[in-house]
Amino acid sequence: MVSETGDSLSNERKLVSKMNILKEVPGSHTSYWPFILAVALIIVLLSIMITSVIVFGVGVVLVVAAVIGWGLEKR
Amino acid sequence: MATRTIGEGVVVERQRRLSETYVGRWITTTDHKLIGIMYMVTAFFFFLVGGLEALLIRTQLAVPDGKVLDPATYDQIFTMHGTTMIFLFVMPMLTGLGNYVVPLMIGARDMAFPRLNAFGYWIVLFGGLFLTSSFLFGQAPNAGWFSYAPLTELTSACGNAVKCTPGLNMDFWVLGILLLGISSIAASVNFVVTILKLRAPGMSINRMPLFTWMTLVTSFLLLFAIPSLTAAAGLLLLDRHLGTHFYQQAFGGDPLLWQHLFWSFGHPEVYILILPAFGIISEVLPVFSRKPIFGYTFVAWSGVAIGFLSFTVWAHHMFAVGLPTVAQAFFATSTTLIAIPTAVKIFNWVATVYGGKLSLKAPMLFALGFIAMFLIGGLNGVALAVVPFDYQATDTYFVVSHLHYVLFGGTAFGVFSALYYWFPKMTGKLLSNRLGVWQFWLMLIGVNLTFFPMHILGLLGMPRRYYTYSGNLGWNELNLMATVGAFIIAAAILVFIWNVIVSLRSGEQSGSDPWDAFTLEWDTTSPPQPYNFATVPIVRSRRPFYDKKNPDIADWKTATH
Repeated sequence: MVSETGDSLSNERKLVSKMNILKEVPGSHTSYWPFILAVALIIVLLSIMITSVIVFGVGVVLVVAAVIGWGLEKR
Repeated sequence: MATRTIGEGVVVERQRRLSETYVGRWITTTDHKLIGIMYMVTAFFFFLVGGLEALLIRTQLAVPDGKVLDPATYDQIFTMHGTTMIFLFVMPMLTGLGNYVVPLMIGARDMAFPRLNAFGYWIVLFGGLFLTSSFLFGQAPNAGWFSYAPLTELTSACGNAVKCTPGLNMDFWVLGILLLGISSIAASVNFVVTILKLRAPGMSINRMPLFTWMTLVTSFLLLFAIPSLTAAAGLLLLDRHLGTHFYQQAFGGDPLLWQHLFWSFGHPEVYILILPAFGIISEVLPVFSRKPIFGYTFVAWSGVAIGFLSFTVWAHHMFAVGLPTVAQAFFATSTTLIAIPTAVKIFNWVATVYGGKLSLKAPMLFALGFIAMFLIGGLNGVALAVVPFDYQATDTYFVVSHLHYVLFGGTAFGVFSALYYWFPKMTGKLLSNRLGVWQFWLMLIGVNLTFFPMHILGLLGMPRRYYTYSGNLGWNELNLMATVGAFIIAAAILVFIWNVIVSLRSGEQSGSDPWDAFTLEWDTTSPPQPYNFATVPIVRSRRPFYDKKNPDIADWKTATH
């Protein structure tokens, strides 16, 4: 049985201090890069299936662009 | 359509961004709830594809000398049935449920890495379409869902894989699986970090909801199991296209290497497919029995024990290849051992239900059905751990029966329990309980009519994956029964689809807490706001929402956890 002793009240104060209360409703976060990176990877795979160096090159460029775009995106 | 901003008398019009359109919102979202829904819808689509493949298989086998499919197509259909159901239905469905529910359950506002989460989903979608598109080229994978080498590559008569297996069939499989592996790793890393770092204040590890526990264990299993499959698939790709011979005995390779690599992924994979369902059942049973789970600590840590042991049992899939006696003894013992933590869970579930005030709504019916069906699948699994019996039954329909009792009778029942339970949270509408009960009984009858006769077929010697059979082997009636059962399951699934459509259109409003539940996901609106909780809740026990609703008899006042 846990009673509301000094210990449990002090624990409660610690917990309340960790409460994260929203001061404003955040906007929704969106990003194109996950979708673009997935498409780029699929293009690379397709290039392997159809053994096309050109398609492979396009896919790799897109993968690199998507990774850079993802990394530089402001959140 | 444009929106308007008014400033200093000048009307400025700006075009709506793509991310603000309906389609764009889904494409660019990083909200765990929308991503969870996309995972589930995609998984259900592939469930229907895999189900159609199953119906084709059963129609072909309904009578002796069936001619519904030609042999080559039959090979493709059964391979894609297994691959689709495992990699494109069960795994994404459980990931989707986890995505939707876990952050809410632990009082988090999103997953730890929202964009990685979205990336994982898109990879599943495109990987699934990539694999399934192989049918359009008439070159679907055709060597079974575990794709044994050297069947999938070269034989000793050929110097190069493409000469021996010239189609793209197995290339589709290898590349598709590699892609889906990337998604699984992304999702697992995200779950591990989310669960370990984003729990609400006061939610210690030993206060986590059991679905969260099992998702955590499953994520670790995936992180350690997927690399083995990736390595196996990578070597197969090299053998097929770059002239290496990792699996080719005539050139110094080892065909058993594939089996060891595949099954060191494949057996943990079985637990990856069932542990989240264990978690679902551990959430649903207490709510519909109006009791806390019996033996929380044992239920949680038996999941961890199963996780560890799952890496020690892989070679029980290989008893028939001629393993040394010591290895056979080891793997038979470890396989039997894993039954112990599994039985711990079953005993605890039964003890939870025992003496409870049962509410036999659809989620509860599916949860109870899960226990019964999984018990059968577990017991015939233990039978297969006995080496002499396995010699007789391996690669027969007995094994097919075992895995379907575990994965359909088990996981699929767990998934439907979860869908009936959490659908109100996702949509604000209740699914029809009357249709849910219909679906449950149809599924229960269908599953047993389909898969129980397969035990006997296996014992009578019917091998799995055979295209057809003669009419004088004593298998006719049992096969016909199994086919009728498969169509009853299909009818049950149609009832579910009808239920979803009707309920979304005109279903009863659920409110935020229709089941008088115990955990935090119900302590917010249905569906929740994008930020989940305006104030992150404080947790003092294993049933934080129960505490909030019942302050006088709160668990934290009366229990020690």
